[in-house]
Amino acid sequence: MPVSRRGFLRIVGTERTGPVSGAFLAARGLEAHFAEAQRSNGRQRPLLPPGVQEIRISSNENPLGPGKGALDAILGKFPEAGRYPFNSTPSEGALAEALAAKHKVKTDSIVLGAGSQEILKSAVRAFTSMEHGLVTAAPTFENCTGQVKRLKYPLTEIKVDSACRLDVEPMIAASKGAGLVFFNNPNNPTATVHGAKTVTDMVERIRKMSPDTVILIDEAYHDYVTDPSYQTAIPLAMETPNVFVARTFSKAYGMAGMRIGYGIGRAETMKKLAALKMPYNVSVLGVAAAIASLNDPKHIEEERARNTEVRAFTVKALQEMGAKPTDSQANFLFVDIHRPAKDFREICAKSGVMVGRDFPPFEKTHARISIGTMEEMQKAVEVFRTALRATSSTANEDKR
Amino acid sequence: MLTRRGFVQTVGIGAAGALTSSFIGARGRENSLWSAFEPTLQALEPGVICLASNENPLGPGQKVLDAVKAAFGPNGAQPGRYSGNAGALIEEIAKKFKVKTENVVLGCGSTQILRSATHLLTAKDRPLVGTIPTYEECAGYATMMGYPVRPVALDAEFKMDLGKMADAAKGAGLVFFCNPNNPTATYVGAKATRDFIARVNRESPETTILVDEAYFDYVTNPDHDTHIPIAVENPRVIVARTFSKAYGMAGLRMGYAVGHAETIKKMAEWDGGAGTSSLNVLALHAGIAAISQDPQYLVKERERNTTAREFTMKWFRDHGMKPTDSQANFLFVNIGRPAKDFRDALRAKGILVARDFPPFEKTHCRLSIGTMDEMKKAVAVFGEVLGKKAAAA
Repeated sequence: MPVSRRGFLRIVGTERTGPVSGAFLAARGLEAHFAEAQRSNGRQRPLLPPGVQEIRISSNENPLGPGKGALDAILGKFPEAGRYPFNSTPSEGALAEALAAKHKVKTDSIVLGAGSQEILKSAVRAFTSMEHGLVTAAPTFENCTGQVKRLKYPLTEIKVDSACRLDVEPMIAASKGAGLVFFNNPNNPTATVHGAKTVTDMVERIRKMSPDTVILIDEAYHDYVTDPSYQTAIPLAMETPNVFVARTFSKAYGMAGMRIGYGIGRAETMKKLAALKMPYNVSVLGVAAAIASLNDPKHIEEERARNTEVRAFTVKALQEMGAKPTDSQANFLFVDIHRPAKDFREICAKSGVMVGRDFPPFEKTHARISIGTMEEMQKAVEVFRTALRATSSTANEDKR
Repeated sequence: MLTRRGFVQTVGIGAAGALTSSFIGARGRENSLWSAFEPTLQALEPGVICLASNENPLGPGQKVLDAVKAAFGPNGAQPGRYSGNAGALIEEIAKKFKVKTENVVLGCGSTQILRSATHLLTAKDRPLVGTIPTYEECAGYATMMGYPVRPVALDAEFKMDLGKMADAAKGAGLVFFCNPNNPTATYVGAKATRDFIARVNRESPETTILVDEAYFDYVTNPDHDTHIPIAVENPRVIVARTFSKAYGMAGLRMGYAVGHAETIKKMAEWDGGAGTSSLNVLALHAGIAAISQDPQYLVKERERNTTAREFTMKWFRDHGMKPTDSQANFLFVNIGRPAKDFRDALRAKGILVARDFPPFEKTHCRLSIGTMDEMKKAVAVFGEVLGKKAAAA
């Protein structure tokens, strides 16, 4: 029986999670999830009552996955699975060329990564040392933080401001003499964004005060931003030494499982990252899918529109329940639920709704909720309603 | 509108556009003794015979592709989702080798394994030992980090000289022991390897030996055994493996290391997320299907390679050129002229062979074993190219 595109997505989407997942990922986050995937042999599964479908809104994934062109490319490239990515058609070089064309730069400004995580990891390895540490935020995406901790290099974490935005002034002040500044814009998990002027000013001031400090602006959620004051920092990176941008195909492009990201900046900045790049780090299938995605910019427009609509719906529903989401510019919300994330998460999980892990120092008050499909979020908000009622009554009982 | 049927039909069709690109920028290597040898990027054009990269010309096989296709759909391997399947693949690998899961760590190709090991085990005062030539990943990484590399010459038969290597190993951090050795295709027997490990352990107890068994499945020498059982017991031995060779998955990027639990733990921790954040979901599923399939798959692939290898070696011998004793899916042949001349002439005729391998680039060429059909076509072209050259000389 032929099925439509919509029908296909439904088939593909029926059981989205692998053997490990939702529950664990929800509780501990991505890096711990990957570590646990190894330790526990993929055995942990959410314990759901029969018939309850998991809704995985814990990992900021695109719930629809890649577009048709990318899916076709992945499957169409199976016959070349035996060839190294430098021998395949298209080759990994063609992906770097396609990215260079998209951003109107030369290929020596692009470094591919096995996910943007490799770029972030390489940045810490390339630019920090015992003398020159990392400046980052708390909470923020933790890949750089984890890497610098493993290296036992100095780490400065600046707590976000009262609106849960990256606190730019103290980050600038802390940057003096730092090796690397990690600036996640929009910021995961707080979902907030800074406008172009703020970013440009920050870069200028850090450069003036501490010219050897490298600034990494992670724009993983770029395609989901709707705030008109925001602009990509790629042009800024292209004209400023020691500044570069990280991007990923894991979010709006819907390819988290394919592991493709990249760094972009001036050639002399990227050279140091390129030296640390694992050779052949992207798969033949991933390369083909990424190129197909780049050839379909309309799909990203549609994905942004879809996410914006579902995000607005979810924000409104949560506000009506008395919860307070930050001004989300991403495909997830950071919500003040006035109670521990753990309590909320565990109640939601019983109904198959998997939300984000704890994000200290906000674990007693805030939950991170990714934006699924409209259908998923309609179901999820009903579960949130019950959970918020239940935990509030528990809290009241405790008080009594 | 895409129908289910239409969607499935796209599977298995090559759909290879004729896209050739030569691209250097994002390759990311400084020029140095060890990294100058990287292959030129060469997207294959249809009809080209690629004997340049030691790939399995048949790919992963239908069973593995079917498994990946199945995983693509309702049961889970979603390209849009972060994968949690690393543990399941580790379990299959552990089962195959009768080791514990704590003895296995995965990598984005064995490349990630080689880099992690080099990073953790070499230092400014802990050199890397490697033969000249050998697979360059470890030495390239050490050089980039500014760590010393002790190069050791091969013996007259292009085999690893174990006496010289053991001498060089004294005080070293890591010995890279690629067996069979890429690019020379030669192999050191299992007993000699065990003796070598014992000697290094005795004379330089802090030195780790990384045994790279990438081409293990192609060895036909009867004195052949994996060193995995030694590695799981001995904290100074690590075995690296890959799905890129006999399993035909070079394009998917999956490799692994087997070793002592403590060593493996360090390697997993170094990359964060147990090193698995670089692994794509389709490779994880393909790996599970590949390693758990009927072991006859490997037997057949070895036999296929051996037949085509012997055919090709005989052709060279019959034409007065000496290949080394190949125990892999490639040959290292003394063609009596610069590899570049041979390579360029072949390229013009649609055959790709490998890059230069100093210090033998003036005399030796490395070429991979394709299918028998490809090798029959290839030797005819070798004859034309070498014949002309010989006549001109």
